[in-house]
Amino acid sequence: MQGAEILLQPGVFPRLLQGLWVTVWIAGVSVGLSVPVGLLVGWLMTLRNPLIRILMRIYLDFIRIMPQLALLFIAFYGFAQAWGWNLDATGACVLVFVLWGGAELGDLVRGALESIPKSQYESAYVLGLSPWQTFSRVILPQAVRRLLPASVNLATRIVKTTSLAVLLGVVEVIKVGQQIIDAHRFEFPTATLWIYGVIFFMYFIVCWPLSIVARRLEKRWAHD
Amino acid sequence: MTEQTEPTVQTEPTVQTGTAQPSGKNLEISHLVKQYANADRPVLDDITLTVPAGKVTVVLGPSGSGKSTLLRTVAGLEPIQGGEIALDGEVIASGKSGNAKSGRQQRSSDLRTRVGMVFQSYDLFPNKTVLGNITLAPTIVQKRPKADAEREALELLGRVGLADRKDAWPHELSGGQRQRVAICRALILHPEIMLFDEVTAALDPEMVREVLDVIVELADQGLTMMIVTHEMAFARAIADRIVLLDGGHIVEQSDDAERFFTDPASERAWQFLRTFQFKRHE
Repeated sequence: MQGAEILLQPGVFPRLLQGLWVTVWIAGVSVGLSVPVGLLVGWLMTLRNPLIRILMRIYLDFIRIMPQLALLFIAFYGFAQAWGWNLDATGACVLVFVLWGGAELGDLVRGALESIPKSQYESAYVLGLSPWQTFSRVILPQAVRRLLPASVNLATRIVKTTSLAVLLGVVEVIKVGQQIIDAHRFEFPTATLWIYGVIFFMYFIVCWPLSIVARRLEKRWAHD
Repeated sequence: MTEQTEPTVQTEPTVQTGTAQPSGKNLEISHLVKQYANADRPVLDDITLTVPAGKVTVVLGPSGSGKSTLLRTVAGLEPIQGGEIALDGEVIASGKSGNAKSGRQQRSSDLRTRVGMVFQSYDLFPNKTVLGNITLAPTIVQKRPKADAEREALELLGRVGLADRKDAWPHELSGGQRQRVAICRALILHPEIMLFDEVTAALDPEMVREVLDVIVELADQGLTMMIVTHEMAFARAIADRIVLLDGGHIVEQSDDAERFFTDPASERAWQFLRTFQFKRHE
């Protein structure tokens, strides 16, 4: 139990929660903005236009091949140097995570849209539905069912990857943890495990409900 | 299942327009040519055919003869490269060369609702209940009030013996039940002609009957129908007109189904019918 007392020090827990809020904020905004970007990208990927296809392919591969950390550095330092865009660290994080989430979600959307059988479009056509009615009433609802489990998993990955924000100087939950450990280095030299243990549980509490939701959805919609 | 549908046929006197009045319209196909892009010969070559109002026209032929494609051109799912299709005297599709690559015909929603079609694959919308499937098009395409569409949907479901399944999801239904729902979904739009494209081909044998009984009932009511099927006994019983297709051409046409099946005029028809007969070798 050595070092556990640090958790009872005034201000430690509230500060960790503040850090968690930064993490959840970055992840939440990124996931929220990824959804429209992903839907758009996914739709563009299903188009037959060869130019759009190639552009989307390059976009997806570039985002997938580059480590997220490299992308963060490009957005934070590179853009500032090249074009004088002074994104703050949080903004750079959100930008990178939206580009990343949008690309990954776009690929999921593309897969889901392409997995809807042609006969669904044909049934809708002979029933007189317009192309937009077919998409919004028939195709999209089915596609969303198919991609929801995988996209919830993507959301948990985004939550976890926000820890890279530390390296841009964002004071999120991990950075707060480090600061607390450093500040109490002499008082509680063995507190490291406790602080990181609490952080572990904080990530767990954010991500666990998401993976439960994903599993539930997967089970419920398995028959489609 | 058969017992389920038959009583409803007899005990349901409130059915729409009654049974004697033919409710459909003539369909005239003249010199229709359908050719896919990059194909060396057309799938349908100079097809001229009348589907008379209130009658059942059954299209037979070996696989690859173009019979499904013929229905698809009538439904607007395939553009045609030559000839014309006219419904009730009005040209609804005319051939243009160079459209072989385009997806479907440019047809107005309104026109599409006048031609009903049921496919071989069970193609109910899996994200909608039975009732939701049937009421979707009448409410959003024809802008009918929801209550009105639901009332008629229930009436139609009653006719096919599925009133108690109105809130079921498609995946909870058997293949035969799904096809009966698909028929209701087409009928609620009051089409002038119904097209059935091998609707029982993917069904288990026991479920074929319950679907075909529904189609027979529609025939009794005088709905204009064009049916592609491999069920010879059914074709023989229901057909007013038989059309035999082979290699994209009409080989034989007959207004006497009995005669066609027992004594067809062409050698090709004999050949075709023989493939459905079995005999042990001595």
